[in-house]
Amino acid sequence: MTDAAHNERWIRWLNTVQLVIAGAVIMAPTVWMVLSSFKPSFEVTAYPPTVIFAPTLENYVELTRTTPFLSYALNSLIVTVGSTALGLLFGIPAAFAVSWTRITWPAILTLAARMAPGTLFLLPWYVMFRQVGMIGSYTALILSHAVITLPIVIWVLLPSFDAIPRSVFEAAQVDGCSVTRILWRIAMPLVASGIAVSAILAFVFSWNYFLFALVLSNGDTKTLIAAAFNFIGEGSTQWGALMAAATLIALPPLLLAALVQRWLVSGLTLGAVKG
Amino acid sequence: MAALSAPAVLFTVGMIAFPVVYTVWLGFQTFSSTGKQSFAGLANYTKLISDTEFWHGLWVTIALFVLSLALQLVFGVWLALVLFHARRLSGIVRSLFISPFMMPPVVAGMMWLVILDPSLGAANYVLQSVGLPPSDWLASPTWVIPTVALIDSWQWTPYVALIVLGGLQSLPPSVYEAAQIDGASPLKTFQRITLPLLLPTIVTAAILRSVDLLRFFDIIYITTQGGPGNASNTLNIYGFRVGFEFFNIGYASALMLTLTAIVFGAVLAFNRLRGAVAW
Repeated sequence: MTDAAHNERWIRWLNTVQLVIAGAVIMAPTVWMVLSSFKPSFEVTAYPPTVIFAPTLENYVELTRTTPFLSYALNSLIVTVGSTALGLLFGIPAAFAVSWTRITWPAILTLAARMAPGTLFLLPWYVMFRQVGMIGSYTALILSHAVITLPIVIWVLLPSFDAIPRSVFEAAQVDGCSVTRILWRIAMPLVASGIAVSAILAFVFSWNYFLFALVLSNGDTKTLIAAAFNFIGEGSTQWGALMAAATLIALPPLLLAALVQRWLVSGLTLGAVKG
Repeated sequence: MAALSAPAVLFTVGMIAFPVVYTVWLGFQTFSSTGKQSFAGLANYTKLISDTEFWHGLWVTIALFVLSLALQLVFGVWLALVLFHARRLSGIVRSLFISPFMMPPVVAGMMWLVILDPSLGAANYVLQSVGLPPSDWLASPTWVIPTVALIDSWQWTPYVALIVLGGLQSLPPSVYEAAQIDGASPLKTFQRITLPLLLPTIVTAAILRSVDLLRFFDIIYITTQGGPGNASNTLNIYGFRVGFEFFNIGYASALMLTLTAIVFGAVLAFNRLRGAVAW
């Protein structure tokens, strides 16, 4: 074996070692969370911590028995699906119009809203929604979460619409097609995969969002994320149930993200990076 | 054409533009304990200048921002290089790498709360078994900020890495070939060629992270609520508590407008930097 080939193999091996270390650091906490959720209650707090144990579903049963976990989950689903639908309904035509006319200020305004701290909006919303008696309503929650989903939809779709050759639309216009018809019949089918990616990202970020529901929901409309406090409880007595709750809350976004992992980074940077 | 963007524009005006203008107005109001509101002029802003809790919050925000950003950029670039040299990444490996930043920050907070428990947590067990002293982590006023920075970096370093990886993959291979012919060492090649060419991508990642880091909220609120004491009371946490625990909406508005100005100021500064390192 030549020196160069020897060097090459050595470098490859070193790189694999680094990759394994990075992977272990990234995965270990999540694996620990899932393991803990299946531990019998006396073993969750065992010290030194145990790795081998007889798995049980007792924490999950306990969680659904002692907390209204399922109704929180239903609230999360209503708010997330509602705000994603609203984001798509407003965002798809807006992205198309911005791409066509090059009038970009509506898109930039939604991006600015995404950069501002959420509390900036939550203060006036709280005053406004309280005046009309909408605190605790699904409507208020869906409207507030649409502020998260709308910029995602617009900025993920903008490059997709931009990529369609102008001549396609111009030909349709010559044939007497209205703008709405061009969007519905020609543009939207062409960017269908972009719409799917934007919908999934909007869903994930709306599901994960914490701040707004903390103030705008009440006992009946509380989302899973906002209810996380209820699961933390006092001290270490409920760790098993806490980790079961954490695992279940993280499951929908993780499964959906795995579906779109290939397009995820360019989508997440809202057009700043092509990945 | 205008009709197509009308719903989005109306929504943006109603839910974003008008509320922000309303916040500016609220910033000039005071709210008494009975909820009565009256015009206060600049009183909220003069209060802010003499409020030691505000300056403490600004310091906590900046410390957390600098520490987290440094960790995420350094390890992100390292991880990107490792991934780049691994060539092909299977979908499963990619999914594992994105899993930290696609899970809710609140869940990340919940799971680290258990791992970092001072008396029964796995982290201290690992430290002790390699002969290091245990830490109080989130319960320690000294260590709470580095600990939160560590949690956030666990969550977002893979994100920075994937952005930088995109930048690496778009670099022209010809520059490397030239370096190889000239016999440059791998370290020199990285220092003189890769890093300068990557800088615009790294600054972009820095902008995207800064926006989140300067308004840090979720992980702190779920783990410490700004504590112990006020050791992790970032401006966003402080503003939230002034508004929704003490119901001083006027002062909270002034705090939030100040924080928003800081966030946008940072974005503009980084944007100029990106212009300076572009090639």
